[in-house]
Amino acid sequence: MPGVFDRLEKEIKVRQQQDGITALDLVDLPPALRKIMRLMLRELQMSYPRLREAMESMPETDRLTPDQLDAALSNLTQQFWLTHIGEGEKAIYKVNLRKKTGSTLAAGIWSSLDTKLKGKPKE
Amino acid sequence: MSNGKIVSIHSFRGGTGKSNTTANLAAQIALTGKRVGVVDTDIQSPGIHVLFGLDEDKMGKTMNDFLHGKATIKEIGFNIGENTGGDEGRAKLKGKNLWLFPASIRGREISQILREGIDFNKLNEGLQSTISEFNLDYLFIDTHPGLNEETLLSIATSDILIIILRPDNQDLQGTSVTVDIARSLDVPNLFLLVNKALPKYDFAKIRDDIQNQFNAQVTGVLPLSFDMAENASKDLFSLRYPDHEWSKSLVGVVDFVLAAK
Repeated sequence: MPGVFDRLEKEIKVRQQQDGITALDLVDLPPALRKIMRLMLRELQMSYPRLREAMESMPETDRLTPDQLDAALSNLTQQFWLTHIGEGEKAIYKVNLRKKTGSTLAAGIWSSLDTKLKGKPKE
Repeated sequence: MSNGKIVSIHSFRGGTGKSNTTANLAAQIALTGKRVGVVDTDIQSPGIHVLFGLDEDKMGKTMNDFLHGKATIKEIGFNIGENTGGDEGRAKLKGKNLWLFPASIRGREISQILREGIDFNKLNEGLQSTISEFNLDYLFIDTHPGLNEETLLSIATSDILIIILRPDNQDLQGTSVTVDIARSLDVPNLFLLVNKALPKYDFAKIRDDIQNQFNAQVTGVLPLSFDMAENASKDLFSLRYPDHEWSKSLVGVVDFVLAAK
């Protein structure tokens, strides 16, 4: 029987998949955050000190102050666009991409297609 | 982050010759000694494997298996350099570092993806791991035509985006949308490649007109070719017919890719 933690973990996972960021959402982010999100997509995850370092290497016009960066990270995390393990200096952030939803066609169509495809000896 | 570059090849409409161009370009770059990967993210209508001589019998694990947690990226990479021979153009790739990461051509597996959707966190993890695990210099992503979520993800994560278009008004309008989005996503290198241009036209004028219209580098203008159509994706055209006008124009694109920062 699943425990409370299993259930909570499952709920968080579902929420993450529903509330993740899409590539189009990146367009609307401030330039500095968009650059960081792009970098995070490439690196898969980034530690807080590495994020600060990346921010400091940006052109002055794009750069966020440490307080602005903290606020942005908190905001992105609340929206489930970022997930993190650990807190403060030890936090490791990861982009959470929204799952592409499956087809909304009636289930019967898929099961009928599956049956037909299973019946084929070889494609 | 690995130093390998992601090159997304995109077209707003189908039939532009995207997969053919991607496969030939990747092969030409592998011939220069670079380590190259090609991922088929066109999961709903995969096709680039045909150009590399891969059929269902030879195809092992696929991107579909990876997305469903049934295979690692290491298991999916099909080594073209070790699996080519005979007198085909592809034989020139023998011993080269070129891997294909195919999408499944089995109907059941395609329908499963359509039915269940795609975990983009997993897809992105796969793209990035491909570069690090195979120590690639370049990873080419063959995308589904048009703007969909997979395409946007590949654009968002790429270092180089090559948009293929025909000199056709429908293509031009669609390309304009894609260029706008790519610019909004800060893609560092945005290139255009014109394919299927009627040989009777002035290619220099086509290049200048399109370059001015989009304010983006046109890396080449490839002619519409019956020879290419006759090849029917049976082989890598630029390797089999290196002196053909289409091939020579395509080789010109290689320099742009190699020079991109």
